Amino acid sequence: MRFSSLKKKLLPPPQWRRPVIILLGIGAGLAIYIAHIANVGSYLTDDPTACVNCHVMTPQFITWRHSSHREVATCNDCHVPQDNFIKKYFFKAKDGLYHSTIFTLRKEPQAIVMHEAGQEAVQSNCIRCHISQVTDPRTAAGVSNHAENRLDRTCWSCHRNVPHGRERSLSSVGFHLEPLPVATRKGSFVPAWLDAQVNHTSN
Amino acid sequence: MSENIKNWLLFILTVAVVILLSYLANSIINRKAESQFAYTPQIEIGAHEPRNVVWGKNFPRQYESFMRTRDTSFATYLNGSKLRDALGEDPRLVVLWAGYGFSKDYNQPRGHAYAIEDIHNTLRTGGPTGPGTGPMPSTCWTCKSPDVPRTMAEKGIGEFYKGKWADKGSEVVNPIGCADCHNPETMSLQISRPALVEAYENMGKDIKDATHQEMRSLVCAQCHVEYYFDKNIAGQEGVPYLTFPWKYGTTVEDMEKYYDQMEFADWTHPLSKAPMLKAQHPGYELFTTGVHSQRGVSCADCHMPYQSEGGQKFTDHHIRSPLDNVANSCQVCHREESGALINDVFQRQKKIKQTQLSLEELLIRAHIEAQKAWQLGATEAQMKSILMDIRHAQWRWDYSVASHGGTFHSPVEASRIVSTATEIAQEARVKLARLLGQLGFSGEVAYPDISTKAKAQAFIGLDMDKLNDEKETFLKDLVPVWKKEAAEREAQMPIRPVSSRE
Repeated sequence: MRFSSLKKKLLPPPQWRRPVIILLGIGAGLAIYIAHIANVGSYLTDDPTACVNCHVMTPQFITWRHSSHREVATCNDCHVPQDNFIKKYFFKAKDGLYHSTIFTLRKEPQAIVMHEAGQEAVQSNCIRCHISQVTDPRTAAGVSNHAENRLDRTCWSCHRNVPHGRERSLSSVGFHLEPLPVATRKGSFVPAWLDAQVNHTSN
Repeated sequence: MSENIKNWLLFILTVAVVILLSYLANSIINRKAESQFAYTPQIEIGAHEPRNVVWGKNFPRQYESFMRTRDTSFATYLNGSKLRDALGEDPRLVVLWAGYGFSKDYNQPRGHAYAIEDIHNTLRTGGPTGPGTGPMPSTCWTCKSPDVPRTMAEKGIGEFYKGKWADKGSEVVNPIGCADCHNPETMSLQISRPALVEAYENMGKDIKDATHQEMRSLVCAQCHVEYYFDKNIAGQEGVPYLTFPWKYGTTVEDMEKYYDQMEFADWTHPLSKAPMLKAQHPGYELFTTGVHSQRGVSCADCHMPYQSEGGQKFTDHHIRSPLDNVANSCQVCHREESGALINDVFQRQKKIKQTQLSLEELLIRAHIEAQKAWQLGATEAQMKSILMDIRHAQWRWDYSVASHGGTFHSPVEASRIVSTATEIAQEARVKLARLLGQLGFSGEVAYPDISTKAKAQAFIGLDMDKLNDEKETFLKDLVPVWKKEAAEREAQMPIRPVSSRE
């Protein structure tokens, strides 16, 4: 009975159980507290505000929100593989742990750039939505080096402003006061004093 | 390994893990605290802060670009940022608006930063000498300043609209600015004027359902729309309550029907005695019928395009003609030469202007022919349908010209409106020709010499010297008092740095 002997080895003798339970509780409590202050649950969602849990992503967040992509694509739509559920969350976990490690060690650079895995994800996601533009048969037939251009380069080697603009660094935004994308804040368009005072009698 | 050593190792390992976990917690809290300071502004902006310069301390780029609306060096075919005397450029307007304030003085609008200065200066607001005097109601302030929502919130909307324009002179002192469109806490766009919220309700819609992109036009639609003063609002009787006539819709016919049904008239024309409607500036309504609006373009997309400065992308708050900034506005979508694009705009505007100008002459002729008919003893019954035609024709003409950029925003709709107005004006003149014949007059009613603004104003009997004198006294005596009172009041309003936050 290997299982019961393993159990015997791991479990403390009866007279030690209470102190051990208390000690484990301290460890678990600390871990839950950390998960709470780090807002860990938000990383399971597609909400762009999760990405500004760390303020170093503020420039990326603001530039996205000032771009036309804000209407159609969240951070994850571009920066995380979208081909299947497992790949998506594996990538998220891998990338997220890397980011949080660098951030905790204070090793983030002034100007953050994508690594290779991230570039691959973004490039596939550009194509995912814009497939009809990049595989247009008229261009394929009429432009001699179309296939090389399409396959050997990234979209942003030409479309350099899409969507974050060309200058990106920790200091390249103004003041940031608006943590949520305004489009999702329905009802805030009319301030409370006005809502209470307007004349509701139809004329 | 002895049991003792094992236990010690386990103890040390646990200590290390707990220390590292605590370090992690500490680091997370630290960095969260950092984010309270990174990208955090210097000044706490109060709930109804009307002073643009205070907002400017937090948002220097937006503020500085807004202040460039003081630039008056750019002119287009129709408008631009220059102070242009519209009555001087087209004296016919004086006769068309005879008996109404616009015949006294009407300039093409300058930038938002001039809102207060220009309403002080225009002869339309007359020369009040103190509270309770002058020709205009308090309601005329409504679109001029972020002091308006502040005063409304403090005193009530009806209370704000009540009384004379001069009564609120020391309250409303800051030109159109930040608080007119922005939430002071989140900076998101918001509506600050009741009339637009009420107009949406009257149409059976809820403005809170608007999207962000719609809001980028709707904040402009708080003011750049057709409106009237309704003195019969339940609970606010006698108060000139600012109202949009949108109940049946926002086309020229919808609003005409609305006004006809309530038998509303802005004024009675002194020549023809027609019950007239003054179209204010249905800029938003005409824009929504145009192709740019139908493709989802908002006002801000062209009039406040994004711009980059020092690597920072932000909205250009120098609100102006997009033709002054073709690169950031038109050329974002249209890959044409700047000159060609400007020419496209002017071509449309010039063609419609041509038809508007001939319509103006028709309308003046109808007014003086109606005057002639009255002089020859025409009866109310004989004149009724003629006067309604004049009312409708001039309303439609006004709708097409008063919406400043309308002939570009929606050229097809604008020219449709002009052609329906021309038809109605001609119809009035056919009826007038018949009536004048019946009354024994067969000649042409002489077209007056209104070749200059001065001649036109003399023709309708305006005493310009008196108006100018009154205005001069007002600017010399009353305006400094207003400014002093406002400065004393604002000195009591604290500017609190964020670092003083508790």
